[in-house]
Amino acid sequence: METVAFFYFAAVIVLTAVLVVAFRNPIYSVIALLVMFFHVAGLFVTLHAEFLAAVQIVVYAGAILVLYLFVVMLLNLKQDDSYQRQVGWGIGLGIVGLAEMIYLVLSAQVGNSPAIGTAALQASASPKVAAIVTRGNTEAIGYMLYTKYLFPFEVASLILLVAMIGAILLAKKGVLGMKEP
Amino acid sequence: MVPLSYYMVLSAIVFLTGFVGVLIRRNIIILLLSIELMLNATNINFVAFSHYLNDVSGQVFVFFTLTVAAAEVAVGLAIIIALYRGKATVNVEDLNLMKW
Amino acid sequence: MSGTEHLLYYLSDYFPILVFIAVAFAFGAGTLILSHFVQPKLPDAEKLSVYECGSEPFSDARMPFPVRYYIIAMLFVIFDIEILFLYPWAVAFDKIGMIGMAEMVIFIALFVVGYIYAWKKGALEWD
Repeated sequence: METVAFFYFAAVIVLTAVLVVAFRNPIYSVIALLVMFFHVAGLFVTLHAEFLAAVQIVVYAGAILVLYLFVVMLLNLKQDDSYQRQVGWGIGLGIVGLAEMIYLVLSAQVGNSPAIGTAALQASASPKVAAIVTRGNTEAIGYMLYTKYLFPFEVASLILLVAMIGAILLAKKGVLGMKEP
Repeated sequence: MVPLSYYMVLSAIVFLTGFVGVLIRRNIIILLLSIELMLNATNINFVAFSHYLNDVSGQVFVFFTLTVAAAEVAVGLAIIIALYRGKATVNVEDLNLMKW
Repeated sequence: MSGTEHLLYYLSDYFPILVFIAVAFAFGAGTLILSHFVQPKLPDAEKLSVYECGSEPFSDARMPFPVRYYIIAMLFVIFDIEILFLYPWAVAFDKIGMIGMAEMVIFIALFVVGYIYAWKKGALEWD
């Protein structure tokens, strides 16, 4: 059951990821990415990360992709653009990198060998956190985020502030002395 | 039970698809979409490890990835709009002003 | 309890959602397939032409949007992320107490700075 679910989600994720890169029309790419985000959310549900599954759909599918679609519409990209000339080199490099990563994963056998197996790693996790995990996914995330990761959280808000100011500055008409297209 | 290495291989495939996309495409919007693919590959890895280690920290890190993805999208697309006003192109090969 | 049984037990909570998805797909696909078989097909040139409120179509359906839409959508994304951080904070509030409250006040204060900036720059105005 779990294996079937994993292989279904994995197959669709890989297929749509390749399609995002392969489609010549940007709108098709964005829609393929939308399908991929939904399947990543499904994968998160099977991994007991329900809150992140919801977040994945709300933020990625609901907000970020809308922004992409706006920009594709905004720039009115009708022409189907071609690939780079070095397309063979790019794909070859990707295959070499993939072979290397798979070799590393399979030779290290992370999570399978008894030396660094999941059981040993689970034991190393703090028991307090493990006790909270059972209380509910969202609450556990909230507790962790607002105690241990307090400082990164404030930095994240600063990043968002900078992004907001930067995006307004760049996109607002006339701020950089340019006219609307 | 699906071994953790399966998730790592899936994440590697998605990441390298995004990597190849950045290398072979000319449309700058597709380049940003490929970076989104890479960020999602890291998210899959974070959540898989969080599940197998029984530690929520991985899921907290997905939040930060999400924040960075949103910031990157907001600023990146604003840069694309500004570029399009100036040069009326989204082809990265035409953006060679700073190329020596 | 083995891993598979545990997952089955866990996923049984999602069974209603699965039923919803299945019914939605079945309804959409069923309607399309049924109408494909039931409908009368008598095409001619006038029927196959593009219908645009009765007048002749004079431009492409895809026309450029103004940049204003982008700025509004971008502000929506940023504030969406903010709401996202508020949600686990609210759920775990009784555990984190006053320190969590102080953190969230700083967080929202930073957002208010950005909001004031957007307001002063006129990013929220439509003309």
